[in-house]
Amino acid sequence: MALRGLARARALYEGRDQRARELKAEGRKVVGYLCYFAPPEILEAAGLVPYRIRGDVRHPVTRADEYVEPYGCPFVRNTFDLAVTGRYDFLDGLVMSHACDSVQRMYGIWTHYKPLAFSHMVNVPHTVTEASERFYRRELGFFRERVEQLAGRPISDEALHESIACYNRTRELTRELYALRKSDPPRLSGAEMLEVLIAGTGLPAAEFEDLLREVLAEVRARAAAPGVKRARLLFYGCINDDVSLIRLVEECSARVVMDDTCIGARGMAGTVPDGADPMGGFVQYYFRGFQCPRTYRGTDLSRFDYVVEAAREYGAQGVILYILSFCDPHKFDLVEVRRHLEQAGLASLVLEDDYTLANVESMRTRIQAFVEMLS
Amino acid sequence: MTELRRATKSLDTVRRAREMLGSYYKRAERRREGAPLAWCMAGVPSEVLQAFDLSCEWPENFGTVCAARGVAAELCERAEGEGYSQDLCSYVRNSIGYVSRLLELGQVPPEAPRGGLGTATMLLGSGALCDPRIKWFQSLSSQYLPLPVFHIDPMSPPHDSHVDDPRIEAHYKEILSETLHEQVAFLERTLGRPMDTERLRAALGNAQETIALLWEIQSLRRAVPCPMGSEDFFTGGVVPLLFMLGERDAVEYFRCLRDEVRDRVARGVGVIPDERFRLLWMGIPPWYNLGFFNSLGELGAVFPAETSYYVGAPVEIDLSDPLEALVDRTWKRAVWITRWGAEVIPENLSPSGFSQPGTRLIRQWVHDYRLDGAVMHRTRSCRAVSWGQIHIKNQLEEEGIPSLIFESDMADPRSWADTIIMGQIQGFLEAIAAGRRERARAS
Repeated sequence: MALRGLARARALYEGRDQRARELKAEGRKVVGYLCYFAPPEILEAAGLVPYRIRGDVRHPVTRADEYVEPYGCPFVRNTFDLAVTGRYDFLDGLVMSHACDSVQRMYGIWTHYKPLAFSHMVNVPHTVTEASERFYRRELGFFRERVEQLAGRPISDEALHESIACYNRTRELTRELYALRKSDPPRLSGAEMLEVLIAGTGLPAAEFEDLLREVLAEVRARAAAPGVKRARLLFYGCINDDVSLIRLVEECSARVVMDDTCIGARGMAGTVPDGADPMGGFVQYYFRGFQCPRTYRGTDLSRFDYVVEAAREYGAQGVILYILSFCDPHKFDLVEVRRHLEQAGLASLVLEDDYTLANVESMRTRIQAFVEMLS
Repeated sequence: MTELRRATKSLDTVRRAREMLGSYYKRAERRREGAPLAWCMAGVPSEVLQAFDLSCEWPENFGTVCAARGVAAELCERAEGEGYSQDLCSYVRNSIGYVSRLLELGQVPPEAPRGGLGTATMLLGSGALCDPRIKWFQSLSSQYLPLPVFHIDPMSPPHDSHVDDPRIEAHYKEILSETLHEQVAFLERTLGRPMDTERLRAALGNAQETIALLWEIQSLRRAVPCPMGSEDFFTGGVVPLLFMLGERDAVEYFRCLRDEVRDRVARGVGVIPDERFRLLWMGIPPWYNLGFFNSLGELGAVFPAETSYYVGAPVEIDLSDPLEALVDRTWKRAVWITRWGAEVIPENLSPSGFSQPGTRLIRQWVHDYRLDGAVMHRTRSCRAVSWGQIHIKNQLEEEGIPSLIFESDMADPRSWADTIIMGQIQGFLEAIAAGRRERARAS
């Protein structure tokens, strides 16, 4: 019997690129992308399959060291190692964006040592001004043209609207699913939620929409469990595309009820404005609105208010700050966000990792102590 | 052996740098209490600052000075104690430690070299080159010095951009022009006076001369024996290039340097008496230990070329509209660099006068500079510059040239392991010599 709902999400999560490979076997072109600054809506509107490139924390980085320095974002190095060792050979194209130094540098190295028939970088300014928004908009125009060349057909405005609408529905459904975690205990665990989200990164939006509807129906049908009181936490920080760490936190008598990470709530907040000007909608959503610390947003700590508000809305008592080694944007913000959380009465725990989860037992001890302190 | 020492300069002009570059080295004497003063990042075009007659300090340069004077480690540690990771740029940590100490004491810390930094009234940053640069002044302003911040945000074309496409050119020039105009507007607003356009034009004219002179000096360094090594470039070339581009003092200084280097070439005088290894330097130098280059000189090694603060070829510009001339110069230089292979260059479109050479150019240097090897300094806290060294090492291997990568940091001397590093260097030089002997036997 075909799997449905959360069971299907888990199978897709564990199967990683299986669905993308199936679509490739059906004759579809699959384009890998890193970071949301290159909107996947544009790829789908051209009939391509966007596949968000994942790392694999269980994959030891070996070959990448022949081409790239050891000091640098361990996630990006891991993805490149997967490419060098053949795990991404099913991709027809590669799209990266100037999200941070690591991605920008890796684009040059990746396209030199592992060239694909199609590769493109979307450039992204660091400051949000009218001029930089115009620049990003032009970048998206060039991206659209390149995608059209790869697809061998123009992207009609109608197709773009359809794609935007479909992605927006996935965001709305995701937020509905998130809202089911506001209850105490939440209807859905943090690990389950992340499995669904990561599964979605390897699917066409319409298939992700179907999956979300199945999961929503399943979770809504769950009886409200009386449950034991546990510490409720918000998980903030760098990219987290593996559920192990969230599972670990939840094994430590805590519940991850909300997050602020790019595959999670950060990438699902709001909708792309879909009016007469779809490219303007992307500028609003992916540039002006997307809360990645790589973008300069002034010096006022109120720029972290949204984290405090999310914690309050979801009843989180504490925040886990998950930081990858060598992540400059997050490491600068770390000092400030901690201070802001402290002023708001929210305790926080910093977990630093080199994208191997090798120090999981020491993390367990620290999480347990943190949870104990909160309760 | 080195054990952290300052460089012994070879060229008279470099030895006279402090005296010849008075507008920089004597700036503290001209400061007026309460007058506007900007802390600036390298890469903010100094010509524009000159057109406003704005007093400036450069915390990156201050990091190198603190490193050379042995106080950077303490300041970095202080920043780390306040939560700033040791992974972060040591220039940044040095400045945060300094400001934290300044605020604690209510005055310039007594250990600060050269009387510390002047009191800032604004922070002028840049989004070019690396992520820490866009975050640095954000942290300084939000946590320590609540001052107005302005960042220019020039964008660089990726290595595979079609830079000959007029649409791409217009795309990049537009944002560069707009961000520079925003900078001018910010300064006019903050200072309450207009930019002096004539002064900007004169500064750009001076900068053209400076770039041409540096280009000539870099070409003269191809000579055997090598007339100028990296120790002289780093001690005597970086300040006037990065912080004084556009000033007349810098032109006269580089003219004098060019003449001295040219004279050495004519007379066949080299940096070291027995030149046995000609090496390329890649990376930021260990500012706290520039004597390291002299130690290598004692082993017969000289550095006729370096990839850091590379000035590149001069380009022609029309100075009738000086701000647009700055845009044009910046774009043309970026195009020139991109054509030489920019796949591992951080960002090559910066309105300052320096960048990094492209991959194919470095391969060409093997022949132009008759290189025997390359020494690459992997700076843990500056990944922006370190990333790409392995790629260049791979490229040089194809030219038959070996490379050594060693690890340390540019401003944090705690990462310098002298015995290990010097052992690596000696082993590397012996390997070059052995390879040479083997090739001689085979022929």
